[in-house]
Amino acid sequence: MNSIEERLWDYIDGNCSATERETIDLLLIESDEYRQKYLELLAFNREIAGIELEEPSMAFTYNVIEQIRTEHARQPLKAKVNQNIVKTIAGFFIVTLAALLIFIIFNINWKVTGTHVNSTPVKMPDIKNWLSGGILQAFLFLNTVLALFLLDGVLRKRIFTRQA
Amino acid sequence: MQSKLTDTELIQKTLAGDQSAYADLVKRHQRFVFTLAMRFTKNREDAEEVAQDCFIKAYRSLDNFKQESKFSTWLYSIVYTTAMTSLRKKRLDTSSIDDEETDIQIAAVPSGYDTNNAENRSRSFYLNQAIEQLSADDAAIITLFYKGEQSLEEIAQTLGVEANSVKVKLFRARQRLKEKLERNLKHEVKELI
Repeated sequence: MNSIEERLWDYIDGNCSATERETIDLLLIESDEYRQKYLELLAFNREIAGIELEEPSMAFTYNVIEQIRTEHARQPLKAKVNQNIVKTIAGFFIVTLAALLIFIIFNINWKVTGTHVNSTPVKMPDIKNWLSGGILQAFLFLNTVLALFLLDGVLRKRIFTRQA
Repeated sequence: MQSKLTDTELIQKTLAGDQSAYADLVKRHQRFVFTLAMRFTKNREDAEEVAQDCFIKAYRSLDNFKQESKFSTWLYSIVYTTAMTSLRKKRLDTSSIDDEETDIQIAAVPSGYDTNNAENRSRSFYLNQAIEQLSADDAAIITLFYKGEQSLEEIAQTLGVEANSVKVKLFRARQRLKEKLERNLKHEVKELI
């Protein structure tokens, strides 16, 4: 059986059933003990409800938003890249490699007999034609731009780390 | 001036990249979050750190918030876990629920809540003092119930326990608060005499 206090707290908090509520209503009329305890708990309840909330420092919101902004600025590139794009590229390469492997396996002549292998020499493309002056210069220019781009990235990162 | 938009609207604006909307959310909930953090840490500096940490964590996982519960309930569960982790880290001495040794030992107090005439200071001062003397769990549950506008079910969700268990805990916490308040007031009377 619940204590008087427990029953009265349920009554005050509105956590008791309709029947229980009716019973307590009657008890409050008939019993001095119940009535006295009820008034005592009700006063205490009002007092707790009246407690003031604590106030954080004036700069609280500003500090939170600043911290969020700093974190955003610091976010590494890999966290910004959409993972779906990475997965799609990975999938594409895996499928291509698998298809190539299957194609090779199916095209292997497993019935080779004898010790003499009549292999046809692999014909390599003549790269001398590719390394003409214009193409080589374009290749070197592209590499220089990429190197400068990477250097810029590294230096920016270093400056940002120092500032933070 | 605080925004009149609902929490859900502010969350949607935040997710769309509007940081000022999140600032409004912070302003709206900061007092309660800070108070709840104070109940655990028992000092302002640590409480401010915990409260800030909570809002940053909430911001990071805002897109995971499914809106099946109130934003405040979700936020308070972050406060609860963050504060508990902070407590464990700092190994703060949270006095046990039944540990009465740390309390001021005073002669048996006759029952009756309103038997005092001691205050120069207001009763709310003594009430706050009594809350500070409660264990972190007791103080948090009272704060959540009275100031967080949380139902027993919502508090249960925040604390990760059953609603019935919250009811029992709340009842015990209120009893202990009452005892501590009476003890403190009696102590004050003794000092005056």
